[in-house]
Amino acid sequence: MRRVLLVLEPVIWALFSAGMMVGGLLLPAWALVMGVAGPLGIAATATSYDHFYALASHPLGRLVLLAAMALPLWGGAHHLRHLWLDFGGLRSDGLVGTLCYGGALLGSLLAIVAVVRL
Amino acid sequence: MSHARPVIDAMKPTKPGATRTAPPRAPDGFPSRGNYRGYLAFGFGGFFLFTLSLLVLRSVWAIGTGEAAWNRLQAGFQNPLYVIYHAIAFLWLSWFILRLFRLFPATQPKRFGPFQRPPDAVMVAGLSGAFVVVTLALATILWGAV
Repeated sequence: MRRVLLVLEPVIWALFSAGMMVGGLLLPAWALVMGVAGPLGIAATATSYDHFYALASHPLGRLVLLAAMALPLWGGAHHLRHLWLDFGGLRSDGLVGTLCYGGALLGSLLAIVAVVRL
Repeated sequence: MSHARPVIDAMKPTKPGATRTAPPRAPDGFPSRGNYRGYLAFGFGGFFLFTLSLLVLRSVWAIGTGEAAWNRLQAGFQNPLYVIYHAIAFLWLSWFILRLFRLFPATQPKRFGPFQRPPDAVMVAGLSGAFVVVTLALATILWGAV
């Protein structure tokens, strides 16, 4: 499996770097508004169904949400795999890499379905 | 001339010798000293990238399912643990992207095609400013202020 991961490394690296950039730019605002201000009642409109459905179902909204869901998964998966390697996980790298990227692939496919079914 | 493989491999040592490569080991001071802490904290940003994008996916899935599912999810997000997680994720990922931008000039060539490379401080300030603008714009849109 490690051989397969080595062959796929250029593709994984492209998705990883895009994921870092997109995730770093888009997710902090999401965490702040949807995860902190909304639940605390400071931004009540943000968590209303009608408001978020209007944003999410717009073609541009779907595209941004797809990018915010799928790409950071690859960035996170690559970082977590390399953290594992840094702490001496070379022997189980094939398994851990497969789990990390498999999770990112599954999440990306679900993200496509999620924006299509809106 | 024969192309048959030689019976004796001239490159093969006659007896197994001591390995010439040392097994991998962690560098001195890893992980608690020097730049390793920052390096590992940056790597741990991957945890927040991964988990937060899964929570975005969960939210988009819920809004696609219907109003009842969305309201159930929002009620769940009011759990203090979720709020604390999101607050930490916001701070961690903000630091993560600003650190990435701080490292950016070191990865760039001396010239951008026909153009002279801008000073490092200009590149870092431009990228960091872009992060602030994008975050404020997105937060405003999500907030419902536009």
